[in-house]
Amino acid sequence: MPSSVTAPEGQLSRRDKYRAFILAFNPAAHPSDVIQSGLVIEDLHLSLYRNLAARADLEPGSQQLLVGGVGSGKTTELLLARRWLAGQGLVLPVYVDVSRYTDLSSFNPGALLASLGIYLDAWVTTDDEAQASSGTAKLPEIDAKIFDFAYGKQEMRSIAPHDNRQTYDLARGILGGQITVNIPGKLKPPFPSLSRDIREIQAPLEELLAIIREVRKDVVIIFDGLDRLLEAATFWSVVHQDLRLLRKLRVSVIATAPLSVLFGAGVGQTISDHFDRVQHLSVIASDHVSGLLQSVLRKRGGTELLHPFLADSICDYSGGVLRDLISLARDAAEEAYVSDRDSITGADIEKVAHQLGTGYLRGLGPEAISTLLQLESSKSFDPSQPGNVELLLTRRVLEYSSTDFRVHPALLSVIPRPEPKRA
Amino acid sequence: MPEFSTEPFFEIARRLEMQGETGWLAVLAPVADSTAALDQLQTELQSILQKPARVIQLEPSTFEGLLEALHQPDDDAVILSSGTGLKREKWRSLDIMRSALERKGPVILWLATGDVANLVEHAPNLRSFIGGSIFLAGPDGGIMTETERQERLKQLSEHFQLTDQEVVRKAEVGELSNEPEFVEWLVLLDRGDLV
Repeated sequence: MPSSVTAPEGQLSRRDKYRAFILAFNPAAHPSDVIQSGLVIEDLHLSLYRNLAARADLEPGSQQLLVGGVGSGKTTELLLARRWLAGQGLVLPVYVDVSRYTDLSSFNPGALLASLGIYLDAWVTTDDEAQASSGTAKLPEIDAKIFDFAYGKQEMRSIAPHDNRQTYDLARGILGGQITVNIPGKLKPPFPSLSRDIREIQAPLEELLAIIREVRKDVVIIFDGLDRLLEAATFWSVVHQDLRLLRKLRVSVIATAPLSVLFGAGVGQTISDHFDRVQHLSVIASDHVSGLLQSVLRKRGGTELLHPFLADSICDYSGGVLRDLISLARDAAEEAYVSDRDSITGADIEKVAHQLGTGYLRGLGPEAISTLLQLESSKSFDPSQPGNVELLLTRRVLEYSSTDFRVHPALLSVIPRPEPKRA
Repeated sequence: MPEFSTEPFFEIARRLEMQGETGWLAVLAPVADSTAALDQLQTELQSILQKPARVIQLEPSTFEGLLEALHQPDDDAVILSSGTGLKREKWRSLDIMRSALERKGPVILWLATGDVANLVEHAPNLRSFIGGSIFLAGPDGGIMTETERQERLKQLSEHFQLTDQEVVRKAEVGELSNEPEFVEWLVLLDRGDLV
C-alpha cells in the first residue's frame, strides 16, 4: 500500500497528536536523545551535575559516587556533567556505560580500566593535537597492550620441571617446555579468574594520560551502569581495585552506585568511606504547590492531552520516580488513544496506575506486604534490614531522604488489605 | 489479587506501534497452547508494525550471543521469550546488561506465569523500561470472536467515516494509507492481500 493519507481531516491529526505525546514520554529513550531534544529540565536536582563536574574538575583524582534508585535520573545527570566538563575546554570527559559492553554479572575487576584505556587510546589516535604531542611515544605498542588487556591474548609460558602437566603437554606436541596459554581479556565475558595483575595496564594508561595532559589539563572518567550491581558487596568487588589505580593515576571519577551502598548495613558504610563524596539522588516528592514534577510533564508537552488536575494525579501515582512518571503519562495517553478518546481522562490514569501497581505487587509475600502496610500506618522503616533493602532496590519503597520512606503510591493503591476483625 | 489487563494481540501490537521504534512491553503467555499463541503474536506484530518480528529464546543464551542476536539486525521487532520460566540468576544477569539490550527496534518480553514476580524482584531496571505495559494474552490466545470483530469494524467505520467497501476500494486502487488502523481494518475484512 502507498503511504498516502485518505482519512478525513482531523482523524489522523488526532493520531499524530497522540503519537507525538507518546514519543515525548518514552521511558526507554536514551537520556542523551532526550537531552538533545530539549525535553530535560536541567536544574531539576538543583544543578547537581554541575557540582559533581566542578569537583571532578578542580580535584584531580577525586572519586564521587552518584547513588540513586532505578529511574531516578542518574544517567541524565551524568550526561549533563559530561557536557558541562566538555564546555570548560580544558578537561577530557569520558563517559562509559560499562554494562553496555561487558557482562558485569561475572566478577571482573579490570573492566573499568580496560574501558577507559580503549577510549583514551581511540582519542589519542584520532586527535591531531594529541598525535602531534605524542612525540616518541610508542603508540602501536601502547595500543597493543591496551587491547590485550581488554580482549585477551595468547602467551608462551615455560613449564617448570616439577610441573606434572609436562608429560601431558609434551604428548600433545608442545616443544621446548613451552605451552601456549590463553589469557582472557577484561571485557570478554565470561572469564574465570583474577590471576592477572591489574597493574599490567598501569604503564600504558600512564603513557596515554601523559599525552592527553599535554593537550588537555586532565581526564574525568564517568562510569555509568554500575548501579545495576544491586548488592553493595558485588558492586565493591567489581570496582575497588580499578578505583584504587585510578586514584593513583590522578584521574577523577564519577560513578553510579546502587541504593544498597547507602542503606545496606556493614559493607555500605565501608564503601561510602572510600569516596570523597557520595551524592544521593533521592525521589522527588509530589508537591502540587512547587509543581516540580508537573514541570517535567509540561516540558515534554504534557498539557497537550492532560488537564492540570490530571497531571497532578499522574505525579502523585508516580511517587516522584521520574521514569514511572514518564511511563504513566505515556501509558495513559496510549490508553486514551486505543479507547478512541480525544484526551486523557481520570479513568485512563486509574487504569494505568493499577497496571503499574499490579506489577510492583507481584512476588510480594505476606511478610513484605505486612512491612509495607506498617510503613504506611506508622511511617517507620528500617532500611538496614536485608528484606527492606530489597523493597528499596525494587522501588516498592521510595526514599525521599535518609529518614523519610514511603510505599510507592501505585503499589499502595492495589495492596490487598486484611479483613477487619469481627467483634 | 489484582490482575493485569487482558488484551488481544492486535491491540498489543497497536500499542507497540504507537510507542514508536524503541517501545518495550511484556506479555504474559497463556498457559495452554502458548507456542501457537506466540506464533500468532509474531504474525500480528509483523502485520501492524510492518517489519519483521523474530523470537529469541532467553535461555540458553550468553551475554555475547544475546547481544549479537539483538543487534544483527537491531531495527526489527524482537520477542524475548522466557520459555517455561527463567531462574532468578538469569533475570539478574539480564538486568545488569539492560543497556546492552537497548536497540532501535521494539522489544516484547514473552513471559511465563511466574516470571513477572522474578522480573520485578530481580530485574528492576528492565521492569522500569516496561512500566505498566504488562498484558495478559487472552485465554483464546488473542483470537477475536465474530462479535468482537464486528464491533471493531463498526468502531473503525465510525471513527474514519468510511465504509468497509470504501476501504477495500481505496486499497485496491492504492489510495489507502498504510497506517496500522487501515492495515488492521483490511485484515479484519480478510483482505490482508491488499496490505
